[in-house]
Amino acid sequence: MALLRHLGSLRRNLFERARVERRLDDELRFYLDRLIEEKLAGGLSAEEARRAARIELGGMEQVKEEVRQVRAGQMVEQLLQDLRYGIRALRKNPAFTVVAILALALGIGANTAMFSVAYGILLRPLPYAAADRVAVVYLRYFPRDFAFGTLCIRDYLMWQANNRAFEDPSLFRSLRMDIGGAGGVPEQVQGASVTAGFFPTLGVRPLIGRTFAVGDDQPAAGSLAVLSESIWRKRFAASPAVLGQTILVSGTPATVIGVMPGAFQFPRRETEVWTNLVLNPPTRYGPWFYRGVARLKPGITLEQAQAETNSIGLRMMQQNPDYKRLTLPVLGLRDALIGTTLRPAILVLAGAVGLVLLIAVVNVANLMLARATVREREMALRLSLGAGQGRLLRQLLTESVLLAAVGGAAGLAVAWGGLQLLRAWNPGNLPFLDAVRLDGAAFAFMLAVSLVTGILFGLAPALQSARADLNTTIKEGGRAAVSSRARGRTRAALVVSEIALSLMLLVGAGLLLRSFANLQRVTGGFSAAPSRLVTIQMSPGDRKYSDARAGLALYDEVLRRARSVPGVETAAVSDSLPPDRQGDADTFAIEGQPLAPGQLNPIITDATVGPDYFRALGIPLIRGRYFTEHDDQGSTAVAIVSEGFARRFFPRDNPIGKRIKQSAPGLGNNWMEIVGVVGNVKYLGLTADTDAAYYMPFAQGYGPRMFLVARTAGDAARVAPELRNRIQSIDPGLTLAQIGTMEQALSRSVSQPRFDAMLLGLFAGIALLLAAVGIYGLIAYSVAQRTHEIGVRVALGAGRADVVGMVIRQGASLAAIGIGLGLAGAAGLTRFLATMLFGVGSTDALSFLAAAAGLLLVVVLASFVPARRATKISPIVALRYE
Amino acid sequence: MSMPPTNLLQGTLDLLILKALALTELHGLAISHRIEQITHGTFQVKPGSLFPALHRMEEAGWLASSWGGSENNRRAKFYRLTAAGRRQLQTERRQWEIIALAIANALEAS
Repeated sequence: MALLRHLGSLRRNLFERARVERRLDDELRFYLDRLIEEKLAGGLSAEEARRAARIELGGMEQVKEEVRQVRAGQMVEQLLQDLRYGIRALRKNPAFTVVAILALALGIGANTAMFSVAYGILLRPLPYAAADRVAVVYLRYFPRDFAFGTLCIRDYLMWQANNRAFEDPSLFRSLRMDIGGAGGVPEQVQGASVTAGFFPTLGVRPLIGRTFAVGDDQPAAGSLAVLSESIWRKRFAASPAVLGQTILVSGTPATVIGVMPGAFQFPRRETEVWTNLVLNPPTRYGPWFYRGVARLKPGITLEQAQAETNSIGLRMMQQNPDYKRLTLPVLGLRDALIGTTLRPAILVLAGAVGLVLLIAVVNVANLMLARATVREREMALRLSLGAGQGRLLRQLLTESVLLAAVGGAAGLAVAWGGLQLLRAWNPGNLPFLDAVRLDGAAFAFMLAVSLVTGILFGLAPALQSARADLNTTIKEGGRAAVSSRARGRTRAALVVSEIALSLMLLVGAGLLLRSFANLQRVTGGFSAAPSRLVTIQMSPGDRKYSDARAGLALYDEVLRRARSVPGVETAAVSDSLPPDRQGDADTFAIEGQPLAPGQLNPIITDATVGPDYFRALGIPLIRGRYFTEHDDQGSTAVAIVSEGFARRFFPRDNPIGKRIKQSAPGLGNNWMEIVGVVGNVKYLGLTADTDAAYYMPFAQGYGPRMFLVARTAGDAARVAPELRNRIQSIDPGLTLAQIGTMEQALSRSVSQPRFDAMLLGLFAGIALLLAAVGIYGLIAYSVAQRTHEIGVRVALGAGRADVVGMVIRQGASLAAIGIGLGLAGAAGLTRFLATMLFGVGSTDALSFLAAAAGLLLVVVLASFVPARRATKISPIVALRYE
Repeated sequence: MSMPPTNLLQGTLDLLILKALALTELHGLAISHRIEQITHGTFQVKPGSLFPALHRMEEAGWLASSWGGSENNRRAKFYRLTAAGRRQLQTERRQWEIIALAIANALEAS
């Protein structure tokens, strides 16, 4: 009832404003007229009566204003009024408005873009049922020592038997697969081999058909396949008839039983087919191809699950003496998907962009303070005309929030442009950018940030203005009132903090850029020009090529045709490629170097390569010889080791002629004689410091799935299509994939450090620009204020250089304080960058010094412009200016 | 005027207005005169306080208003108590009596 009445008044006050106002006017006018009549009746003259009545009323407009203040909805009405006034005030001073909006647009825009990135990657709900309850389980042990390594089936059975924390442990493996037999020519795709619990764990229903059922991972089960939506559309025209069809998966017939929706992208984004992993009872440990995925039981936390898997790890070590320091690391699904390096990088960048916004806010606050000085008279006038301090404060805050809102809207455009730029300049290298878009969440973030920044930069100047001392302001004719010295100090402090904040960003950017430059200098260990190497991943498709004789003949033909392509200088095969495509890794034994019981040599890269591999890539021969065509199945088993291997395991001897063997169980007593030592090559990424590796000849260690690498005379990208055609023409069943140049592979391998460095560099650049604007504004204002003083100095004989020096000294002294503070702040903050750096310490002196020097230079330049203006001050004009 | 215009205690004005309207409906100036009369000239309510209070109390539902002919045959806005206004008068009156008694006791305490 009361609410209805209130709403009624609100409606009247807001929408029938004219009528309400007219009524009020009538009411007061009647009051006045009656009062005059009474005075007349009391014997006063008409003139006197009118005068007395007016005095008693005390100002019609003021009474009206008082009444308006108590009306329902007066807040809304005042807000509209303040907004209209604010718009007028902002339009009256376009220079100020444009600079402030630009600064805010940059600050808010960069933050909104960064928020979209962070939200898309770290926060947006994953398309799996209660995804935060799903965890991925890894295996870590010495000597392999991968932080997130893979399990073998025995490990899985042990985990499953002892598990109490998870609902239904399942196992999966990511691998390349050939799809053929139906729906067009065979092609190589990303696939996954998974146990029956895999799909239920992730809780996504198939689009059509079914997923694997209990028993589909048992030895008696047939070969089944679940397809992705994209390959179903591409190869089978989205026909439901695909269910029950037989296709070839890497040469094996499999029955299609279902299609998963496009949002289902696990274990990899590009996974196109899932086959049932059949858990044949393992006779030995290995191969370690698998990871586990499981749903936490209700009430169990990730930490509790980790504690339990750790205790299972202890048992596994008891059962297998080859396992040292074994743990089963558990990662939440999201961390498993985005990896462990992305989250800290995004947090660092988000922090950096927050600093940028802070600088923008400081900058605008500074501009507002400068403007407040100019508007002092206006404020004093409004105060004296009866506006309350609270009212004035609200008015000024409305103005600053309005400014921030316009800045935010422009920021949305900046964010949109920024994200487009990010995508354009990062073609496919950072797959996670797919999840990044400007959506409702980003919009809400922008609004919230605008509101907060508006209040933040508006509050201090507004408080100062609303507290203005009427007497002095009006007396002093509007100049130099509200203790201009105090305001000057506030402004100087703001500029100092701006400089300090920018310096921190500059130091961070400097460190990342230096680290990225270091990364660019890492060669990967081969001397062939990356732009002249083309690589293709190749699989024979047909099962008949799993036989070594047939397979080797096929690859002979592949290489023969590859070399016949115009422009190709040499071609070779390998199962591993720099900078980060390691094929296999294993431990090994050295003849004559027995290990203590339970000791193992570390697990290192073992690459299988064709005779021309080293020559094609330009991997230098240090000792002995390369492989030749004669190192085949009929001759002595041989191996080549890397320089790092030789230095580490034969520190005093010549390794040539010594014998090593793979020591994975089941590989027998196959000793290989070392015939050569070659330069170190990176197979685990440019930043990895693993340099020990050994190589085996392709003809003695055949495997069907290989990389083909060709060195060309010119641009490799131009030769690639012809190369592909000639190889494909051998057999339509061959699948060729991941065709690209070494240059692209190198670029891809450093895409995240490049992303980090570029973004932080961009943020630092914006910060520097804002700081320069800030210092320019302060110095220019101070020069304007000191016109009189400078005039006097010039009149007394100060030269141009003196004046310029004086002004620049003012800027430089502020910069010195800011730089001091900024260096201290940077020293405290750069440790958060430590994990993102390569070849440079987080307290690298050069980065700190360069940033400080650069900033000082910018500050001096920014003060030079007003300094020059100061020299043009004519003493006569300056003195008359009083 | 026996006393200078008293700075009305917060809330007292509402009570006085409610009381002034207890018998009959009145327009603004008449309310002001009535208050002056019933307080024997102690309180003179200025329009700057009176009108905001009237409008606020009307929006609160204690007063209702209507436009009608006045003494000089001009249209004037007349205020009257609503049922809620009468209840409010009772409430405020009781509160005032408690306060008055308490203050009187306090001042007479030795």
